[in-house]
Amino acid sequence: MEKNTAIEVNHVSKDFKLYYDKANTLKEKLLFFSKKNRDKNDIHHVLKDISLDIKKGESVALIGTNGSGKSTLLKLMTKIIYPTKGKIHTYGKLTSLLELGAGFHNDFTGRENIYFNASIFGLTRKEIDEKIDEIINFSELGDFIDNPVRTYSSGMYMRLAFSIAINVQAEILLIDEILAVGDQHFQEKCFNKLRELKKSGKTIVIVTHNMKQVEEFCDRAVWLYQGQIRMDGEVKDVLKEYLKVCG
Amino acid sequence: MIRMNVFKELYNYRELLKTNIKKEIRGKYKGSWLGILWTFLNPLLMLAVYAFVFPYILRVDVDNYTIFMIVALIPWNFFTTAVQTGTNSVVIEGNILKKVYFPREIIPISTTTSQLINFLITCLIMVVFIIFSGVGFSWHIIFFPLLVLIQYLITLGLSFVLSAVTVFVRDVSHFVSVVLMLGFYATPIVYLSSMLPQKFQIFLKINPMAQLVEAYRSVLYYHQLPDMTMLAIWGFGSIVIVVLGYIIFKKLEKSFVEEL
Repeated sequence: MEKNTAIEVNHVSKDFKLYYDKANTLKEKLLFFSKKNRDKNDIHHVLKDISLDIKKGESVALIGTNGSGKSTLLKLMTKIIYPTKGKIHTYGKLTSLLELGAGFHNDFTGRENIYFNASIFGLTRKEIDEKIDEIINFSELGDFIDNPVRTYSSGMYMRLAFSIAINVQAEILLIDEILAVGDQHFQEKCFNKLRELKKSGKTIVIVTHNMKQVEEFCDRAVWLYQGQIRMDGEVKDVLKEYLKVCG
Repeated sequence: MIRMNVFKELYNYRELLKTNIKKEIRGKYKGSWLGILWTFLNPLLMLAVYAFVFPYILRVDVDNYTIFMIVALIPWNFFTTAVQTGTNSVVIEGNILKKVYFPREIIPISTTTSQLINFLITCLIMVVFIIFSGVGFSWHIIFFPLLVLIQYLITLGLSFVLSAVTVFVRDVSHFVSVVLMLGFYATPIVYLSSMLPQKFQIFLKINPMAQLVEAYRSVLYYHQLPDMTMLAIWGFGSIVIVVLGYIIFKKLEKSFVEEL
């Protein structure tokens, strides 16, 4: 409960039920029952007793192979899913960039979608009004901003989504594997913006497989392996060990 | 303490609530030629059909049958569309739920509220009809906002429960439409409650919409005071329903994403 803690993960475990051909309706359930095909739902332990403290202003990378539980941990921090055991506390306004463009409405214009999307992140109208020019400039969409989103190319779509998410003034940013946005130029711009946010004392947690990004950008790395923390420390040390095993 | 947090978080996300409601109202007719005009046309055409058909198949001996029916049908319509869209609301928004955090209760609240706004718009039609038919208004209309509030709370409470349960058992949605269809006949909308045989009267007693429809009719059609004991019971009942609904919703929302 220290004052300078941003995210506090306390003995968290998360189980998922594994459904084989999930019976969703009563009819299906009865059918499966009669066929004796009713699967005992296996339980998959994705995270096992994780404890982690992330301080304010830290930039942390979560690394690990596929299926190690990185994204699950990130979703737990966002409160999209809830832990089976243990508790997670976050202190300060939190924004997650799990998937870009979640909540876009294709029939509405880019400008309208800025309002929709930013409001999902919990901004008020006034706050959005103040930010809107910055968001539009950052997206480099120009006049396209007043066209319906369905007319956008996938690159434009992504640029708009990222511009909104990154300009939402959050104290904690959770980012999952989405920094491959747009062309080289735009990616560079995103990273510059992230560096700027980092400098201004925001807490940033990134899930990525791009070790170069990790090395360049983060101070700390947490290596997850089969739902447990294998190593936690300085980026250089963790990466060295990680590459020895997985490289 | 907990109650305070509920309102505080909703207040923080008020813009989302607003844009959601706007989207719900505008998005519905987006792309259609007549656009928002359908908000009027839809109920108007429906009224025309009912007003044309029912006098022929059902002999109800009242003056101004059209008004008699309208003052009940329009609130009932608000109820059914709100419950039906509310039931499906969380499942429909599933994709967003998986990707962003926001207070989940915003979803049923915004569908119910947008239906409320739709209802208030349609009430303009009702006003026009009441004036031009010569039925007119009396001071009893001061009870109207209270009736709307009670109905809103009951609808919201039901939407909380149904939207959450539907995530786990999708069949609920189909079940709800059948029950609503039955409800239309278990509510004195196109007929007088006295026309129902004694053995069925009990259904009118336990059906809050039947009670509300009677109250709307007293206020707008008969120019009488609504049944005060009924108002007290359902005024209190609506609060109980909304609080219980909210608690159930909050209990279930934690596993929404895993089931969507």
